[in-house]
Amino acid sequence: MIALRGVSKTVLSGSAPLTILHPLTLEVPDGQCLAIIGPSGSGKSTLLGLIAGLDSPSSGEILIDGVDITKLDEDRLARLRGEKIGFVFQFFHLVPSLTAIENIQVPMEIAGRKDAVVRAQALLDEVGLHDRGHHYPSQLSGGEQQRVAIARALANNPPLILADEPTGNLDSTNGRHILDLLLQVRHTRNVTLVLVTHDLNVAAVADARLVLRDGRSVAEDRIAEPVAAR
Amino acid sequence: MMFVTRMIAREMRSSWRRLLFFFICIAVGVGAIVALRSVIQSVRQTFAGEARSLITADAIITSNQVIKPELAAAIDRRLAEAGATSIRSVEIATMVRGAGAAEGRTRMVELRAVEPGFPFYGRMTLAGGQPFTHDLLKNGGVLVRPELQAQLGVQVGDTLAIGERQFEIRGIIESEPGRRLGAFSLGPRVFVSLEDFEQTGLLTFGSRASHQRLVKAPDETLDALVASLRGDFLNQFARVRSYKATEDDIGENFARAEDYLSLVGLVIVILGGIGVSSVTRVFVQQKIRSIAVLKCVGARSSQLLVIYLAQVIILGLAGSALGVVLAALAIAAIPATLAAAATPGVTIHYGVTVPAVLQGLGIGLLVSVLFALVPLMDVRHVKPSRLLRDESTSARPDLVQVLTIGLVVTGLVLLTVWQAGSWRIGLVVTVGLASTALVLNLAGVLLIRLIRPLARSRWFALRHAVLQLSRPGSQVRIVLLAVGLGSFFIIGVRSLQENLIAQFAVDLSPEAPDMFLLDIQSDQVDAVRAAVMARQDEGAPPPRLIPVLRARVVAVQGGELQLENYEDVRGRGSLAREYTITYRPTLEGNERIVDGAFWTDAAAPAPPETGTAATGGLPTTEVSIEESIRDRFGIKVGDTMRFDVLGRTLDARVTSVRHVEWADSRSGGFMFVFRPGALDQAPHGSIAFFRGPSDPLVRGRLQSELVAVAPNVSVIDGREILQTIKTVVDNVTLAVTVVGSLVVLSGLLILIGAVAMTKFRRIYEAAIFKTLGATRRVIASVLLVEYGLLGALSGAIGSLGAVGLTWGISRFALDIPFTPLPLLTVGGVVVTAVLVAVVGITSSWDVLQRKPLGTLRGE
Repeated sequence: MIALRGVSKTVLSGSAPLTILHPLTLEVPDGQCLAIIGPSGSGKSTLLGLIAGLDSPSSGEILIDGVDITKLDEDRLARLRGEKIGFVFQFFHLVPSLTAIENIQVPMEIAGRKDAVVRAQALLDEVGLHDRGHHYPSQLSGGEQQRVAIARALANNPPLILADEPTGNLDSTNGRHILDLLLQVRHTRNVTLVLVTHDLNVAAVADARLVLRDGRSVAEDRIAEPVAAR
Repeated sequence: MMFVTRMIAREMRSSWRRLLFFFICIAVGVGAIVALRSVIQSVRQTFAGEARSLITADAIITSNQVIKPELAAAIDRRLAEAGATSIRSVEIATMVRGAGAAEGRTRMVELRAVEPGFPFYGRMTLAGGQPFTHDLLKNGGVLVRPELQAQLGVQVGDTLAIGERQFEIRGIIESEPGRRLGAFSLGPRVFVSLEDFEQTGLLTFGSRASHQRLVKAPDETLDALVASLRGDFLNQFARVRSYKATEDDIGENFARAEDYLSLVGLVIVILGGIGVSSVTRVFVQQKIRSIAVLKCVGARSSQLLVIYLAQVIILGLAGSALGVVLAALAIAAIPATLAAAATPGVTIHYGVTVPAVLQGLGIGLLVSVLFALVPLMDVRHVKPSRLLRDESTSARPDLVQVLTIGLVVTGLVLLTVWQAGSWRIGLVVTVGLASTALVLNLAGVLLIRLIRPLARSRWFALRHAVLQLSRPGSQVRIVLLAVGLGSFFIIGVRSLQENLIAQFAVDLSPEAPDMFLLDIQSDQVDAVRAAVMARQDEGAPPPRLIPVLRARVVAVQGGELQLENYEDVRGRGSLAREYTITYRPTLEGNERIVDGAFWTDAAAPAPPETGTAATGGLPTTEVSIEESIRDRFGIKVGDTMRFDVLGRTLDARVTSVRHVEWADSRSGGFMFVFRPGALDQAPHGSIAFFRGPSDPLVRGRLQSELVAVAPNVSVIDGREILQTIKTVVDNVTLAVTVVGSLVVLSGLLILIGAVAMTKFRRIYEAAIFKTLGATRRVIASVLLVEYGLLGALSGAIGSLGAVGLTWGISRFALDIPFTPLPLLTVGGVVVTAVLVAVVGITSSWDVLQRKPLGTLRGE
């Protein structure tokens, strides 16, 4: 379970402090799919980054499976990400110097798993890229790159997948396929899925929705009103 | 661990191209160090431990005069007391003539006449494995070097005439012991027996021979023997030297040479290191996203640091290995002439030495790690949250980074101290490097400030080029430093070379003497003069014969200086050495009086009241001294000097002080010139200067005719000497140019690194310019003007520095007039500008080629 208690983020904009996320309390039960929606600059990605321990909040606690990750040092956070969190980004963020299969192997190697190669191939099969393993990211289409990114996110069987606009850089057909894949994975593996999106169609398939504007939560679990009111 | 090792392999697979410059920077520097150290170590290995062979004995006694019987008896007594034995040897530069088919061909050689038993140490090797025994020399045998064989076209069994005797060639010398490293040679070596040599008539009065006693003594008595002999020779024209002194000298000289040259190599490595630093910084910048991704999937900073550091180590080692290969190739390509010029008659097997290789690998690795460490530390600051939004890494260095910089600086200082072989020199070099960097940096800042007003130019390309150069964070100063330093080396040495060659170029003035004759006896003067005049070109001035004698100062009675006897004179250092003196009625063209008055009525004898009571058979006279004698020893006009001229004492009053233009030595230069009269009747020889025939064939014929009429006379052909000097200067120039080119190469690598560092920004800016309507041509002209300006500024720093260097060395070290070389200076600036422009534009090719839309979309 993910629990946020009074989590906020303030940064310096020039010399003046700027709050990009106002205190927020939130719970995401295990196995739930939460969609975070809102316009650009509303604090969606900041929130996702805080949940992942990629950044530290200015105040509040973030608990993942009961562990307050704001108290962890960089190395422990890295280990936590490796074991418990899988990421999918809008711009895929594969390591360009590694082939598709190597990109998938990396998290398992970091975790010290001996079966990294075999498992990476199985994951490739699962995302439908059976014969593309030895291609470099630059040799793959956007949709294929995102499939590799999903396979990489699943590498260590994490209970939590965080996806930052996973369909935002894809055409509608590919976007649909990727969304289907993510939902399928969520069901088959029973993982918690938190996704940031602009796309109301994407948000519609989630169990719960959080709408942010100017760093504040303006609505929870009620998709139509706040977004339509824009 | 599996992750780290696999990632190292994967990263190497993809990054090696990007890190190629890293690799080359290290290879160039390490190559320079390994090559320089190996050459010196090869030479040293050849000579080290062979100090005895170098002097062919345990100790050597040398004198420029025949050792007098009473002194010889004293030496024999000392040797007997010490249980030592000795043999005699004479070395002399003389002429040989071919006989038979080679009749009429002559050549100056360095003859060595030896007694049976030579050499005590070392081995004489002859061609074809022929063993050396004294029997080969007995009864008119001669051994010659292959050069002489080629020059005269003679074979074993042919006859050579030396002086008044004929010799049969009985072998070809491959190598001989006792040949000094780097000694200036007047000709190839020949060996004869001393017994035969005494019949050649070459040992005439005043001939320039070195008379030697080679001593073999038990080790336990050697030091005492040398000390006692030195005591005996206190007042004689003889020196004694033990092999131990030679050994120490060789060791020290080579160690010093090796350390100094290695420092030159180190400068190249450090410049390479700057390149490494730029390349690593760019590399880390390009890798930031990958690093963020890896952190995102659980990698720790320490693991990533290990991955990138391991790559640096692997590349450093590989680059160093390439450097070793480059060094081996460079050494294999050492010009044979250089090897021969440095070590006449000695075969040195140049090769890469193991200690040099180990040092090179160590330095390559250290410099790679030290210079890459600071930029690599940025890996720690890459936040995985970069993947979610664009944010810059912290610019302020933290404690770890400050400590790393401290570690790197300390490491570099220690590295320099290690390479210099001394704390003092290492620190001096470090301070020197830092100061040079500071001066060049200041020059860079100044030049940038000077061109800044051009940013207001209405020409788009110039305005933006200047803005690029003067913007904060540009790599301009480091490029100016490195390229400027390299061009400074190259232009500096070229300009020195031209100044030097100009000094020696006798060809410049068609009437200047270019042939010299030594050791002409009084009874040979007329015949020599006639032989020369018969062959000279029409209109050439007749030969000038200058009488010469050998003398030394044995006492001085002066206002400031009171030296009662020769012991006192010895206390004044070089005043006690043997001087070549002359007498004449007038000043030469290269002389002027700076104090006192030169005798004008030379025909009249010196006024009797001018000197103290004559002590020998010669009357008191007057002497004119060179100004350095006055300056160094405080001898003034009016002082009286006592000279020993071949065993006879002569008092002379100093009546004038002369300034001699040594650079213009065609009229000769003498420290002491005597008033004619007192020495006219003393037995003496002459030297002659004249303009030789311009036709080389006639020159050759004249040489053989001269040797025929005066076999003992040495003929020195100025043109050949000039050629030798040119070769030596050319080789030195080549060596320094190679070093300078390496520095320029390092500078260009730094430039490429600098271009790469700013390339992403450039591409982005170019995309915006293109969107706003700038054509590729406009972008290209901005780049051209920018790098052209950068190159011109580097060239200006190098050229101005070179002018300063040449002026300083000409004026203070070589004492030759400084000739400005505007063509070279301007040429240096232009070539550097073009080079930098070409390299800059080539490495910015992407900036011109990229389509703007892709760049602006962030693809």
